[in-house]
Parts: sequence; C-alpha cells; structure tokens
Amino acid sequence: MRVEHLYKKGTHSWMVMGRDEDRRSEVIDTNQYLIQHNGRGLLLDPGGVENFAVVAAEFSKHFDLANVEAVFASHQDPDVISSLSLWIQTNPKLLVYVPKIWVSFITHFGVKLENIRPIPDEGGMITLGGHDLEVIPAHYLHSSGNLSLYDPQTKIFFSGDIGAALLPDDYTDLFVTDFNKHTQYMEYFHRRWMPSNTAKLSWIAQVRKRDVEMLCPQHGAIFKGKDVERFLTWFENLDVGSGWSSVK
Amino acid sequence: MSDSLYTQRTREEYDTIFRQCISLNTELHKLVPLAKQMHLLSSNAVSSAARAGSEGDAFRVLTQDIQLLGDDVSVCISDTQKIISDIVTLASKLTRLFTSFVLFNNVLSHFENQKMVTSAKFFEQGQKKIMDEIRDNNQKLSRSIGVLVNLLSPISTLVKKGEYLAVCSSVEAASSGEYGVSFEAVASMLRELVGLLGEQSSRQKSLLRDLSEAMEIQQNNQRNLLYAR
Repeated sequence: MRVEHLYKKGTHSWMVMGRDEDRRSEVIDTNQYLIQHNGRGLLLDPGGVENFAVVAAEFSKHFDLANVEAVFASHQDPDVISSLSLWIQTNPKLLVYVPKIWVSFITHFGVKLENIRPIPDEGGMITLGGHDLEVIPAHYLHSSGNLSLYDPQTKIFFSGDIGAALLPDDYTDLFVTDFNKHTQYMEYFHRRWMPSNTAKLSWIAQVRKRDVEMLCPQHGAIFKGKDVERFLTWFENLDVGSGWSSVK
Repeated sequence: MSDSLYTQRTREEYDTIFRQCISLNTELHKLVPLAKQMHLLSSNAVSSAARAGSEGDAFRVLTQDIQLLGDDVSVCISDTQKIISDIVTLASKLTRLFTSFVLFNNVLSHFENQKMVTSAKFFEQGQKKIMDEIRDNNQKLSRSIGVLVNLLSPISTLVKKGEYLAVCSSVEAASSGEYGVSFEAVASMLRELVGLLGEQSSRQKSLLRDLSEAMEIQQNNQRNLLYAR
C-alpha cells in the first residue's frame, strides 16, 4: 500500500493512495485521492466496497476523515463509487458530486438524493473550504457521463480512467518512470474502454488549455512534468474504440 | 467464541435466511394458479347445477359453498403475495447491512495499535447506525413472518372444508341420475385441488418453521457478536 502527498503547501494538499498489494487478485487496483483545504476534505473516486476498509484506515493516518465534506465521482462504475453507502453512514451530510446523467443510477448504491450534487454536462466548479476546483467534461472517456477535475493552484489534473494502465503486480512506482515502456500497459485499456475519437480530441484540447504539472488517473501510474504532454500526444494518435478484435 | 467466528456464523445465518425466504417465495407463488383453478371450478359447478335444472337444486347449494371456498382461498393467497415480497426485500436488505457491519469491523481492526488522525469513534458511529438498522429490519422481518404464519393458518381449515364439500358433491352425484357424471367431475376436480392446496400448505409450514428457527439462531448470534465486542 502506497500513500503519498502529491502536493503540500500551507493548508492545501493532495494525497494519493494506491498499489494495494493485499487486495484480492481479481479486484482491479485503484488510486484514491484526497484533497485537503483549510481542514476540509474532498475524496476523488473513493473506490469500491472491496477496498473501503483499507482506504478509510490509510487516509485516517493522515487526515481526520470526519472533516471530509464531499466525494467526487468521475463516473458511475463500482470500482469508483460502490463504497458510497458506507461513507454516507459515517457522515449523513456528505455531498456527492456526480455527472448529472448518473444520478438515478448512483442512488442504487444506497445514497439519497439530498446528498447528491449533480454536475451538468458542461462541467462547473466545486468549492472546498473556499478553494475552487474546476470540473471538466470527459464524456465518453470512457463513460457516457464522465468528468475530470483540475486544481489550478497545484496544477494537478485528476483524469479518472483516462491515462489508466493495467499494471503488473511488480510495478510499484506511483509515477511513470519510462513513458515508452508504460504505453504497453495503457494501449489495450484505451483502445477497448474509450469509445470515441471525437470525445478524445475535445478532452485533449481542454487539458492543453491548462497548465498541468501532474495528470492523475484512477488506475496505474501518475504522469508528471513532460510525461503529461507525452501522454496527450500518445493518446491523440491512438485509435480508440478499436480494442475489440472484431473491429476492423 | 471469538468475534470473527460469531461474525462468520451470523453471516452464514443471514445467507440461510435469505435463501429460505426465496424458497418460501417460490412455494407461495405456486398457490396463484391454484386460486385461479379454484375460481374456474366454482364457475363449472354453477354451470353444471344450472344445466340440471330442478334436479340440480341440492347441488346448487353446494356450488355456493364451493364459490365461497374459492373466494376465501383467493383472498388468502393474494394477501400472502404482498407479505412474502416484503419478507424477501427485508432479508436481502439484512444481508447487505450485515456486510456493511463487517466492513466497518475491518476498518476498526486497522485502528488497533495504530496512531490515527481520525478518531475510531467516527467509524463506530457509522457502524452503530448500521446496527440500529439491522435491529429495526430484524424486528420487521420477525413481524412479517408472524403475519405470514397468521395468513396461512386458515388454509388447513379451507382444505378440510374443500374435502368435505368434495364428499358431499360425490354423494349428490351418486343420486342425480344423468347429471351425476358432471357433478362427480366437479367433486373429483375439487378433491384434486384441495389435495394440492394441502400439500403446498404443509410444505410452506415446514419452510416457515425452518425460517423461524434460523431467525432465532441468527438473533442469538447477533446478540453474542455485540456482547463479544
């Protein structure tokens, strides 16, 4: 299990938790992120029921989770958000930011409408303890209602499943160290899970408008510095929606 | 017995209860076509009596009772359908809630001998809410099972009444000359239907008995689990 600060300055910080080597082998590894600002917390893609205990315990070592006021779900998948009902049990007033189109689906995880803050298709802003975070549309990458989140202060861009990699068990680095080698872990995932080249290009244009120091996916390693642009170029040239062998 | 063993046993018991509720649901659904056949039979009985004219007067009296029997069976069966649907929902909810309870146990186990910024109380409060929901749903499930037992209890009386009416119909058929054949057909069909109803009723009683026993064991395990904590 790796827990690291990606950024820490004054009352603002970003933490990542991933590489849970104790998870059941059939469960995909996920990265969970915790943003803190002025003592308030926001969890990004807090994960599934399977890793709730580990996520809760590991983040508890670094932050009082009673101060987590909201959860951001990039999309509706179980590995992203199926732990939601458990987080709500600890804090019934927890706010849940989700893509608007998934509201009536996510309520199946046991969350009430009063907790949900739907994010419109065009994105918007989330304010955490007085700090603004940008929510950027990433629809069809891979989910039909999909969001990314950008923090202008830290220049960290949370990309959800975009940039995800299916890493082998012995890959323990939190950051990409050799981009060219790393593409072998990303290619099938992006070809198969991402359905739209149009959506892909639109999202890349949005990312390039911003100053991004780190691009943080929900699975796999984090892109830092020049690897961010390397990833965008690689992704731009990848023919997505082609991962099924019968697709010509 | 250790906390984890009580947890495991309680989980197994919840799974058993859920499976038993599903079986009971399946068995109770088998009653629905019986109610329809009973209704059809009472219509046939009325027609047979009408065709016999004045020679069917005595049989007509019996057909009124067969109709009443069909109505009573229908009411009894339709009431059970709603309550069994509630029972299955409650059992499924309890299984899910207990899984959440165990997950909070897992979180809290990480707090032993570890320096944490978050207080264990934060998660204990979450777990307590789940425990309260489990208690509440357990009570609802016990109550619903009690209601179902009460709803099903008249069936054995209805079966006896049906058997009696079948005998009376046969007696009437024997003394009704040319119309006796159709009266006997009604009697025979009635005998068959109440026979099936009786079989179903005893199967359901046995399932309900098992379910009540499983509920009792589960509640004991749960008390022990809380005591162990």
